[in-house]
Amino acid sequence: MAPVTPRSGDAIFSSIDRVNAELFTLTYGAIVRQLLTDLEEVEEVNNLLDQMGYNIGIRLIDEFLAKSGVSICVDFKETVEMIAKVGFKMFLGVTASVTSWDADGTCCSIILEDNPLAEFVELPDTCQGLYYCNVLSGVIRGALEMVSMKTEVTWTRDVLRGDDAYELQVKLLKQVAEEYLYKDDE
Amino acid sequence: MQFFGGSEISPSPPVPTASGNNAHMMYVFNRNGVCLLYKEWNRPLHTLNPQQDHKLMFGLLFSLKSLTAKMDPVNADKGNLGVPQLPGQGCSFHSFRTNTYKLSFMETPSGIKIILVTHPKTGDLREALKYIYSLYVEYVVKNPIYCPGSPIKSELFNTALDQYVRSIS
Amino acid sequence: MVREVAESCVDTMLMEMVAMYSGRFYANKPELAARRIEAIGYQVGHQLSERYTMERPRFSDHLEAIKFICKDFWSEVFKKQIDNLKTNHRGTFVLQDNKFRWLSRVSIDPSSSEKETEDPSTPGESKAAQAVSMYLYFPCGIIRGVLSNLGIPCAVSADISSLPTCSFVIRVKA
Repeated sequence: MAPVTPRSGDAIFSSIDRVNAELFTLTYGAIVRQLLTDLEEVEEVNNLLDQMGYNIGIRLIDEFLAKSGVSICVDFKETVEMIAKVGFKMFLGVTASVTSWDADGTCCSIILEDNPLAEFVELPDTCQGLYYCNVLSGVIRGALEMVSMKTEVTWTRDVLRGDDAYELQVKLLKQVAEEYLYKDDE
Repeated sequence: MQFFGGSEISPSPPVPTASGNNAHMMYVFNRNGVCLLYKEWNRPLHTLNPQQDHKLMFGLLFSLKSLTAKMDPVNADKGNLGVPQLPGQGCSFHSFRTNTYKLSFMETPSGIKIILVTHPKTGDLREALKYIYSLYVEYVVKNPIYCPGSPIKSELFNTALDQYVRSIS
Repeated sequence: MVREVAESCVDTMLMEMVAMYSGRFYANKPELAARRIEAIGYQVGHQLSERYTMERPRFSDHLEAIKFICKDFWSEVFKKQIDNLKTNHRGTFVLQDNKFRWLSRVSIDPSSSEKETEDPSTPGESKAAQAVSMYLYFPCGIIRGVLSNLGIPCAVSADISSLPTCSFVIRVKA
């Protein structure tokens, strides 16, 4: 059987249930603010946002796969391109581009010019060190881990810190094979 | 089985089972081999306890997948027999049929495995399994009180699934 | 055109926010977790109401403001209106949504809760009910935030009789 061409991000985005982006942006902002109040260290807030994103990625990957029709994610390069092109579009309604692949195809950058998560956001000076959009890096890490790719995702550019775009570096650490978990008690 | 021997000759629609439903049972496993869901519609014969049964089914799929990839005459992307593969790596099987049942199988890149055991004359169920996966996404993954990786306990999902599976011919 | 994102983005974010506060932070102090979740909702309601009421005249009385929540506000956020509004005319309002979006996929299997009684401290159903009520502090906070921004101090609680119907009870502080 010939592999099915995945549906385009635009087509999926226009067919799924959508909500007003303000609700999304403001809710995220309120969560970040509450975490900054509850925790002393900005670094801890970064970690929790990343962890939250990871858990979100674990759930969203199945919706991504079911709605896009992507049935195989073995090649890292193809998978990242697919997540950037189809995934970002179908969930956030924006397009992300993938650049700066290294020679062996295990490290690249995802660039986001338009980021609904950070709309209307201005960071006060007291938030130095905060990666406001850290939830996104967690989502990507969680989603990729569910398709057996352990990655390290780090921010290399951030508009809220004065850069001209949002850029995440995604580095493949290893691909995890499926385990047969029953062997111990046989 | 002799019971179905006669129906082989004349092309007739799938023989409905007593309950008016072609499905025998269904399993959903996650990537860690945890049986998230087991449901049966028509399974008069139980020879193992549920844990052994699930383990055997998971083992069967695991071995069969590695076997089908190993025997692949055209694709170079094959692992060694018994060596774990990445979900979606190599070729995979989507169904097999015995004289008494048909087993249809789907595995997503996220390692969700959906297995539906039906009457041997059931047609191609690949689209049906995709539909079941979308039910899983809507009613299980999106249920706020569902904890990923735990057994599925959702009335909404059970109802939708039951209704759909009973309609499969 | 109004900018939109997939509903799942908001849904999963709420799930994880609630899980973070009720599970990781305050596992043994549900009342503290509830207060934080409500506070997050309050901020969101406050800001949303700021945006949605910018160009409209001030509300003449409490009922007008509550009607704004039932119609305009609910439509913006949930794409439907509140189905039933009741009041005792002494500052208590009950807003009933017959298919509250954030509960539409909440489901518990009643047949499976029996098996869990092996552990009597956390029977499946009550644990699930607790999780749902934790979830509802967020919309309660939103409503309180909206009303407070409109100059109406109040307390808001939620009541679920049968899923996915949800009633929000608003008690305006005299």
